[in-house]
Amino acid sequence: MGIEISQVSKRFGDFLALDGIDLNIPNGELTALLGPSGSGKTTLLRIIAGLDTPDTGSIRFFGEDATRKRARDRKVGFVFQHYALFKHMTIFENVAFGLRVRPRALRPEKATIREKVEKLLDMVQLRGMARRFPSELSGGQKQRVALARALAVEPKVLLLDEPFGALDARVRQELRRWLRYLHDEIHITSVFVTHDQEEALEVADRIVILNKGKIEQSGTPEDVYDNPANPFVYGFLGNVNLFHARKELTPNGGEIFIRPHDISLSARDDSGKGIPVRVTTHRILGNRVRVELETREGENIEANIERKDWNALQDADLSALYCQILQGKIHAPDNTWSNYVI
Amino acid sequence: MPAGKKFHFRQNRSQLPGFGLSLGLSVAYLSLLILLPLASLILFSMNLSWREFWTVVTDRRVLAAFRVSFGSTFLAATIDLFFGFVIAWVLARYQFFGKRLVDAVIDLPFAIPTAVTGIALATLFSGKGLVGGQLEAFAHWFNTAFSTQLSFNIAFSQAGIVVALMFIGMPFIVRTVQPVLEELDKEVEEAASSLGADFRHIFLRVIFPGILPALLTGFALAFARGLGEYGSVIFISSNAPYETEIVPLLIVMRLGEFNYEGASAIGVAMLACSFLLLLAINFLQTLARNRRSA
Repeated sequence: MGIEISQVSKRFGDFLALDGIDLNIPNGELTALLGPSGSGKTTLLRIIAGLDTPDTGSIRFFGEDATRKRARDRKVGFVFQHYALFKHMTIFENVAFGLRVRPRALRPEKATIREKVEKLLDMVQLRGMARRFPSELSGGQKQRVALARALAVEPKVLLLDEPFGALDARVRQELRRWLRYLHDEIHITSVFVTHDQEEALEVADRIVILNKGKIEQSGTPEDVYDNPANPFVYGFLGNVNLFHARKELTPNGGEIFIRPHDISLSARDDSGKGIPVRVTTHRILGNRVRVELETREGENIEANIERKDWNALQDADLSALYCQILQGKIHAPDNTWSNYVI
Repeated sequence: MPAGKKFHFRQNRSQLPGFGLSLGLSVAYLSLLILLPLASLILFSMNLSWREFWTVVTDRRVLAAFRVSFGSTFLAATIDLFFGFVIAWVLARYQFFGKRLVDAVIDLPFAIPTAVTGIALATLFSGKGLVGGQLEAFAHWFNTAFSTQLSFNIAFSQAGIVVALMFIGMPFIVRTVQPVLEELDKEVEEAASSLGADFRHIFLRVIFPGILPALLTGFALAFARGLGEYGSVIFISSNAPYETEIVPLLIVMRLGEFNYEGASAIGVAMLACSFLLLLAINFLQTLARNRRSA
């Protein structure tokens, strides 16, 4: 049952940030809200948290209407991109905050708070940092403090707004794997916002793709990657080469979508189906190589091939290669997809 | 590593050019403008022996003036601290019609000649004035109703001095607190509210510690400015010795009597007291700031 969002719209002046969003977020799953900037993903997250109010529509938490509930009564944990830690409090005080501000009747004993905060700091691997101040911590550590602080109040829902956006690439990767492990352990219903498709594919159980205030598609990572609902999703989930389909393929015109790693290169055209191309530039990305190609008609194609396949072309003439298309999808004007058969 | 040592020395130097020149200018300017006049004041007071100096500054009338000056200024700065904070809060947090006008009005006490302020306030609060008249009527009613002998006079009393100093000190508080309030990270408050904190907790535990250093700075500025205020106070106060006479007025009177040593001795005592107070406030500020970035 989780979180049920129905017909939520939000307008900021002339800008329609959310346009009739209907979405169910299943209990215990980690859901990613993925979209470009301005797609409304952060607004949707803030509305779920109660930090913004929707103009229309309703939000239900576990079957209970929460639309009019204030943020502090919603029992959600919120993690901000820029941590939003209390600068004048120690790490311990930061994590304990949510417990200490409870009404006296609900406030745990001092010893209980201490025990709980220490347990959380252990969990986020910051044992021994309790007496430090936020300014003494690195970005990754700060974000873990923010997470511990949000989890301290035992929220029913954990919301994360681009939680790794301000961190450098290595820490980001480390932390998102760690978030996945953490979620596998505590199974709290979680929603995180990201503009990074790789992050969403790696971490989430379900991905919701937003664009211009509307949901384009939602489903499991495999589902949205393999069966994108429309050209926007196809393009957003990874690099893509776009060609106009010839009349033989789609009578009404249409477009062919081919991922760069679904293209191979060879020196000779053994199959007879290769397209003659020349290499304009290439870039070695560790174990893969990004190659930019140009056809005789002057069309540009991006290929992403394995390093060993590139090395095999060492002696070939790079201005006279053939590219083979391994697979692709055709999008017809009536919004139907078909496989590109070569 | 001898080669590395030399490099280390160069690295320790500031990367920003012009340190020597700008520091030199700062020190020269401060010396000429502030330290030199103050030093000459202290030197001049040294024409008196310790004993004479002590007799001058412990004179009953001088001590009474110190009490009036420090007491009124402290009270005025404290009242300003509260209302100045409220004004800064309103200006920083809300959008309303005429906000820019209110914002501009705040600075007026900086610009108006203090004598004009004094005369305006004295007229307003005197028994025949707009506010003073009402107060007198109220006092009359109150005293007959409860058979008391209370006075609600503001003009020509110590209350008048406090009012004048409040007027003078207000912008210092608003202008130091307002930018800090505007800079406060909204997300930190949102984080607190998602953790279940109500406004009272957010204010006391999140906002207040953040603006405490600014409040102290504003208080110190208003206080320092109030101690030195002369023009407005002498018009609204009755300037009665032992009761409503402030230290700056006493200094001017000594000068009028050609008692330059006496004037400078009182001046030096005033300087020492103010300096100690500002030092104490500075110390409090360091404490407040260290909480944040220790």
